Amino acid sequence: MKTLPRRTFLRGLGTAAIGLPFLDAMVPAFASTAPGKAPVRMAFVYVPNGIDTRIWSPPCEGKLTEFSRVLNPLKPFKDDITVLGNLTHNAGRALLDGAGDHGRCAAAYLTGLQPKKSMVDIKAGVSFDQIIANRIGKETRFPSLELGMEDARQAGDCDSGYSCAYTNNLAWGSETQPLPPTLDPRALFERLFGTSSATTPEARARENRNRRSILDFVAADTKKLETDLGPSDKRKLDEYLNSVREIERQLERTEKDNAQLNPGMEKPSGVPADFAEHFRLMTNMMTVAFQADQTRIITFMVTHEGSQRSYREIGIPDGHHPLTHHRNLPELMEKVAQINVYHMQQFAGWLEKLKSIKEGDATLLDNSMIVYGAGLSDGNRHTHEDLPTLIAGRGGSYFKPGRRIVYRRETPMCNLFLTMMDRMGVPTDHFGDSTGHLEGLDLA
Amino acid sequence: MFQFPGQGKPAQGILFDSDFGATIDTVLALALLHGLEAKREARVASISINRPGLKAAQLCDVIEKFYASATTGPLAQFVVGTPVGLIANGDAPVPYANLLAATRIKSVNDTAEPATLLRNVLTAQYDKTAVVVLSGPPTNLAAILNLNGGRALVEQKVKLLSIAGDVDPSFLSKWPTPIAIARKEIGTQVLFPASSIETDFAYAPNHPIADAYRAYHAMPYDAPTCAMAAALYGARPKEGYFQLSGRYLVPDPTQSEKLLAAYTQLASAKPVPRVPRKPVVDADAKQ
Repeated sequence: MKTLPRRTFLRGLGTAAIGLPFLDAMVPAFASTAPGKAPVRMAFVYVPNGIDTRIWSPPCEGKLTEFSRVLNPLKPFKDDITVLGNLTHNAGRALLDGAGDHGRCAAAYLTGLQPKKSMVDIKAGVSFDQIIANRIGKETRFPSLELGMEDARQAGDCDSGYSCAYTNNLAWGSETQPLPPTLDPRALFERLFGTSSATTPEARARENRNRRSILDFVAADTKKLETDLGPSDKRKLDEYLNSVREIERQLERTEKDNAQLNPGMEKPSGVPADFAEHFRLMTNMMTVAFQADQTRIITFMVTHEGSQRSYREIGIPDGHHPLTHHRNLPELMEKVAQINVYHMQQFAGWLEKLKSIKEGDATLLDNSMIVYGAGLSDGNRHTHEDLPTLIAGRGGSYFKPGRRIVYRRETPMCNLFLTMMDRMGVPTDHFGDSTGHLEGLDLA
Repeated sequence: MFQFPGQGKPAQGILFDSDFGATIDTVLALALLHGLEAKREARVASISINRPGLKAAQLCDVIEKFYASATTGPLAQFVVGTPVGLIANGDAPVPYANLLAATRIKSVNDTAEPATLLRNVLTAQYDKTAVVVLSGPPTNLAAILNLNGGRALVEQKVKLLSIAGDVDPSFLSKWPTPIAIARKEIGTQVLFPASSIETDFAYAPNHPIADAYRAYHAMPYDAPTCAMAAALYGARPKEGYFQLSGRYLVPDPTQSEKLLAAYTQLASAKPVPRVPRKPVVDADAKQ
């Protein structure tokens, strides 16, 4: 049987195009593993305002046998995660520039450089994800996806003289060009599958009323493809298309709810009011994007650095950032911990999804490096050392997870990036303030 | 490494890289640097150790904890000091085992790789203000020159390398800043008196410097001061304690009394609390 190209799309009328998941039919018969091997994907899930090491760090080293309060939701994934200790971003520190740790830590997070303190003359550096995207991005439909859930303002003072461009972006295409995150799930859906050009609420509502599923547009192509697939691939394709349909349904529900709440509002109609629902929608699409090899690089800023978001969903009406300056008051510290745990619960939901998707003998999670972390450790003191960092997945077959690895203090976060660049096939000698590769990730 | 907002230009940062604890001289030198910090003349920006041995790092930590304890109240959480840099784990003993119980350093991972620490600390110094004080082999300093951008950073930030004892000349030829060297004989010009330990340090029961001094050798004994000389010259090069012959410090007998006073007063200075000029709460908390 003829091998199916990795970059096969189901195409339909208009701009509809759905990438396909990794199917057995894409592996040439008798091939060595390389040509049909699933690609390694990389994502950063960034949460703001730090996570205190006292509630983040597991009380163990080596085999991950105990979980901290914040990491507890990841217990079902104890064999899939590597928790790293003592990674530091020196570039996030004041270094003679005074206040503004939130602006600095976010801008430095993936660039490894201290940003210029300014509200207008912004300057950081190319983030390492974009260095990778520039090299391997041509192999996928999107070199990278920059996503978020809260604030994509690019101007104004968001932290003590640091532009909002610093607090609200993770990825930087050049030293003066941050890449703003897409916040609206509908916009992301249409980017991934290309359907609507409606921009006004009215046009969108009209279109929604008449909307057919994107799967209807590609039905003919789907049917044709299915005749060439074995039973296992058919099941896999069916599951995948069902997940796309489920995302559509989620979006439709959201848009219906939003229309009822405030018809005609100008805000993106696809943004769910509920945080968990928004997170689920975004990560479901991230899953599909990875699954169909639409991209191999995603940065996801859950909320922007210094976020004031309240979490009424879990009974916390106070803003996140003010809470982190808790003055060691137990009541406030408890609320911060609840927010940290809530974020982690959402992340666990994504890992479950990634782990449920088979790719050959492995899973989508196995073939990924999903870093969950923050640019500060203690949000009260604004500390830039021992940053809360974990990697979910095996990066192909490289990482040996299920462990907590504690490095020496001051170990540059950029050493992790150097190692990840290797895994993504873009090796380099140094990045930011790296002093070498992060050792031990591949040792059981 | 926390910098209090609004404090303005800080005092010169001293990077103390030593074979800490191998001789009591290095312990006294650290105490002297803290005395300078109490006078706001200098800050102990980093401490790194160039001989393998966790116990030396633990001793350092106990001493740092003592000096940090002067800062109380809400500010105390910020005064945790920089991590101790340690070249490598090892079993090298220090004769102060009874002092180490209070250490926060339980394993080598609680210490920093010295070249990275030195590099990070230098990035937080104003240009040409940092002083590096070296006692022992220059392994850590050579390592920072080999880091990407390390040499340029040293050139940019360091105004003086002040060395105690003899150092490999090949290292000296590679180091890019002015150098001053206090040879061993400088340390015998003025000895640190045991009497100072018994009297000047009495303000604190279990003073770690005094306890270390007593543990190092049977009392009473007077200790050589080579590392103290390098530290003092590094922070106060224009004070005239020593004459200079090229890059070498030369004893000046007319300064012996002044030198002894400086050693004893600075080393025994009471720790002082850090005082911010503005409230500690960070400016962005007002958002």
